Amino acid sequence: MASMPISAKPPAGQGLFTRQSSGLVRELGIPAATAISLASVAVVNTFINFNAGLTAFNMADMTLPLLLGAGIWLVAMFAYKYLLEAIPRAGGEYVYVSRIISPALGAVFGIGICIAFTYILAANANFTAQYFPFLLTALGAAFGSSSISDAASQVTSQRAIAIISVVMLLVVGAASWVSLRRLAQVILALVIVQLIAFLVLGWLLITHSHSDFVTAFGQFSGHPNAYNDILVAAKKDSIPLGVSLTASLIAVPFMVLNYNGVLYSYYVGGELKRPGRTYIYASVISIVLLIVVWVGVWLLMLNTVGLDFMQSQAKLGANDATAYGAITSLQSSAGGLGYGLVLSGDPISKILIGIAVPSAELAVDLAFVAVITRVLFALAFDRLLPIGLAKVSERGAVPTNAIIVAVAGGIVFALLAAFLNLANIVANLALFVALIILAGGVAATALPFRRPDLILKPGAKDLPRIGGIPVPALWGAATSVLALTVVILIIAHPEVFGAFTVSSVVTLVLVLGAGPVIYLIARQLRLQQSSIDLRLAMRELPPE
Amino acid sequence: MFGSRAKKRALRIFFATDVHGSDRCFRKFIAAAETYDADALILGGDIAGKGLVPIRSHNGTLSAEVRGQVVTVPRAEEGDLRAEINRLGFYSLMASSEDLARMDSDPKFVDTAFRNAIADQIRAWCRLTEERLAPKIRCLITPGNDDPLAIDPVLKSEPRIECPEGELCELGPVLVASCGDVTPTPWNTEREFTEEELGKRLAAILDPAPAGSHVVVNFHCPPYGSSLDFAAELDDTLRPVIRGGRPSIIPVGSKAVREAIKKYEPEVGLHGHIHESRGAQKIGRTMCLNPGSDYSADLLRGAIVDFAADGSYIDFLLTSG
Repeated sequence: MASMPISAKPPAGQGLFTRQSSGLVRELGIPAATAISLASVAVVNTFINFNAGLTAFNMADMTLPLLLGAGIWLVAMFAYKYLLEAIPRAGGEYVYVSRIISPALGAVFGIGICIAFTYILAANANFTAQYFPFLLTALGAAFGSSSISDAASQVTSQRAIAIISVVMLLVVGAASWVSLRRLAQVILALVIVQLIAFLVLGWLLITHSHSDFVTAFGQFSGHPNAYNDILVAAKKDSIPLGVSLTASLIAVPFMVLNYNGVLYSYYVGGELKRPGRTYIYASVISIVLLIVVWVGVWLLMLNTVGLDFMQSQAKLGANDATAYGAITSLQSSAGGLGYGLVLSGDPISKILIGIAVPSAELAVDLAFVAVITRVLFALAFDRLLPIGLAKVSERGAVPTNAIIVAVAGGIVFALLAAFLNLANIVANLALFVALIILAGGVAATALPFRRPDLILKPGAKDLPRIGGIPVPALWGAATSVLALTVVILIIAHPEVFGAFTVSSVVTLVLVLGAGPVIYLIARQLRLQQSSIDLRLAMRELPPE
Repeated sequence: MFGSRAKKRALRIFFATDVHGSDRCFRKFIAAAETYDADALILGGDIAGKGLVPIRSHNGTLSAEVRGQVVTVPRAEEGDLRAEINRLGFYSLMASSEDLARMDSDPKFVDTAFRNAIADQIRAWCRLTEERLAPKIRCLITPGNDDPLAIDPVLKSEPRIECPEGELCELGPVLVASCGDVTPTPWNTEREFTEEELGKRLAAILDPAPAGSHVVVNFHCPPYGSSLDFAAELDDTLRPVIRGGRPSIIPVGSKAVREAIKKYEPEVGLHGHIHESRGAQKIGRTMCLNPGSDYSADLLRGAIVDFAADGSYIDFLLTSG
C-alpha cells in the first residue's frame, strides 16, 4: 500500500525521506517476547519444583542442575536463533523440521506439540485448582479469617478441581481473543507479580536467620520442635540426606525441563519485530533473570532453611504423609512458597505468596495458548489441518478458531485429569519435551547443509566456519548432543521421569505417529482434487 | 479416497506483489520459478522502494537513520547497513554534508535521486532475471500505485521481462489483464483515480477480450469488501483510528474492481496493495487472491495458481518463502 510518514513529525535532517509504511502484523518487541518466554517457564514454579526435585532425587543439591540446565538452554538458544532467522515464522519445530528435513517429520512434531502442549495447558489448570487450598490458607492467614482458611478444605474434591480448571481455561480462552501484543502486556504483569513474590521471598530469607526459621516453623505448626521433629521423622524413615554429585548430575534433565519454555518466543516468530534480534534479546534476558533469581533464592534457602530439612520435608511429605501431617499443617509440596508463608509476618507478603502460583499458572496457560494456536495456525496454513484454523481475526489479529480448538482440547484434558488418573498415560511427557529440543538441534545442524541459502548474508558466498564446519551446524550439533544426553538420562531413569508402561508408550507412539498420518492423508486428498502438491507450501525460497 | 488427479495443469503461475524494493524478496521471486515449478512469474505492483536513506561517511564510519534511530557502523559494514536499509523498503545513498543540506531544502533533488535509485534497481533486477531465470519461463512485472509512472518505460524497455500494464496479454491458455491503478489513498500517489474513472479504465482493458476467453485479472487494487482489502482506518493526520483500544479495520478496496470482476467473470483475480490482508475469496465464479506482503521480514508471500489446457482455473496455494 502507499506509504508516507504517519507521524506528524517532519523528517529530520538525516532521516528517512519521503515515505514510510504503516506496518504489518509483526508487533511484538523485546518486552512482549520476554514476557512470553518467562511466562512459559512459570518463574515462581521453581519454588515448588525445588521440592519436587528433592522428592525425586536422593541427596541432590539443585545448584549444579540449575547452572547446567541453564547452560544447555543457552546453547540451544543459539541454534534456534539460526532457525528463526532462516525461517521467521510461527510454528516452531514444525516449520523448521518440515522445511529443512522433511514435511512428514515436521508433522510429527507439529501435531505432537499441539497434543502435548494442550495437555500441559490442562495440567496447569488442574495444578492451579489443586493449589487453591494453599491460596485460601495464605489469604486466610493474611486477613486473619478462619472462614477463608476453612474454605480450603471445601475445594479439594474432584468436582471442585474440575470446575476451577474449566473456569480458568475459559478465562484463558477469552483473554486470548485480544491481540497478542495486548495479551503479552497482561502476561508481563502476571510475570511481574511472580517476580515480586520472588523478591518478597528473597527478602524474607535474607532478613531471617536459620534459628528464626526454626522458631517460625514451630509457631506455624503449633509446636516448637516441629523443625527437629521433621528431621527425626526423616531419620526414622531412613531418608538419605546430604549431597551427592551423581544425584545432582542425574537431576540435570529435571532442571532442563524446569527451564523449558524459556526460548518459546520462537513459536510466535511470525509476530516478532526483527525476529532474530528480538528473540535473542528476549531469550538472554529470560535465561539470565532465571539464573539470578533461581540460583539466588536456592542459595538463600540453603542458608536459612537448610538442605537437610528441605530434603527431609520433601521426602516425608511425599512418602509418609501421615507422619508429616502429624507434625505440621504446612503443605509440603508448597516448597519455597511454604517457607515464605512461614516467615512472612505481614498480610501483603502472605497475599503475594498466595497468589504467586495462580498468577504463574494463568501466565503459563496464556503463553501456551499462544504457542499452541501458532502451531495450529502453521499446520492449517500448510493445509495439513483445515484452513479455517488459520483464520485470523480482523480486530485482534489472532487465530480465533485455533484458540477455540486449543481451549476446547484443554477443557477435555482437564476434565479427564480431574476425574481419571492420567499419570500412566502421560508418563512419557518429559521424554517428548526433550525430543522436541532434540528435533530443534537436528534441524539447526542440518540447516547449513540442506538450506545454506536461507542463512547466507546478501553478497556472501559461504557461511562462517570453525574447523571447516559451519557455525550454525556447530550450535545445532551441540544442542543435539546435549538434548540427546537429556533424552538418555530420562530413559535411563524411568522411576523419576516417567515409567514406560504399555499405555504410556502407546500414547507416545500415537502422539508421534499422528502427524505423518495426517500429512499423508491431507496430501493424498489434495492430490486427488488438485494439481498442486501440498509439499509446495512447505518449501522455502532460496534468495541467492 | 486416493484416486487420480481431477485435472491436468497446463499453466502454473507464481504471483507475488508489493516487494517494495526488497532485493532479497526479488531474488526469492526469481527463485520461485524453479522451486514451485512455475511456467510464469507475475509481480503485481509496488515494486519500488519507499524512499531514500542518506548514509553519511565520517572518520571511517558510516551513519544513517534506520528505524528512527541513528546507526553508526564501521565502513567495513557498509554492505550490512545497506542491506538493513533495503530490507525496510528504502534505497541507501552515500551523501555528503552538502547533499544532506540540499535534501532538507530541495524536494526536487530528493525526488530525482529517488527516481534514479528506482530505475537503477529495476535495471539491476532485470539483469538478474536474465542471468537466473530459465528462458522458457515468462516473467511479467507490472506497476502498482506506489510506483512512479516513470518506471513504466523502464520496465517496458527491458527485453527479458514483460510489462503489459493496461493491456491484455496472452499467457498460454489464458489472457492476463493488468492494471496498477487504484482508488484514492491518503498518500496521493500517481496512479489514483475515482471509482468511476477506474471502472472505465478497467473496462477499456477487458472489453477487447474475445468472448469465451479465459481471463486472469492482475489488478493491484483488491475488490471492495472482499476480505482481501482490510486495512487500518486513518484519520486526517494519517494516524490509525483507535476504537476499543485497537486500530479500526475497514475495507479499502475498489468497488469498480469488484464490479468489473462480477461483470467480466475472469477465472482468477490477482491482487495486492493491502499487505496485511492476505487471503482468498470467491466473487461470483472468480477466485480472487491477495498473497499479502511481508517484505520487511525478508519473506516473499506468494500464490501458486494452476490452469488447465482450456484455460480454466484448477486450484491455488498461498505460499511463504
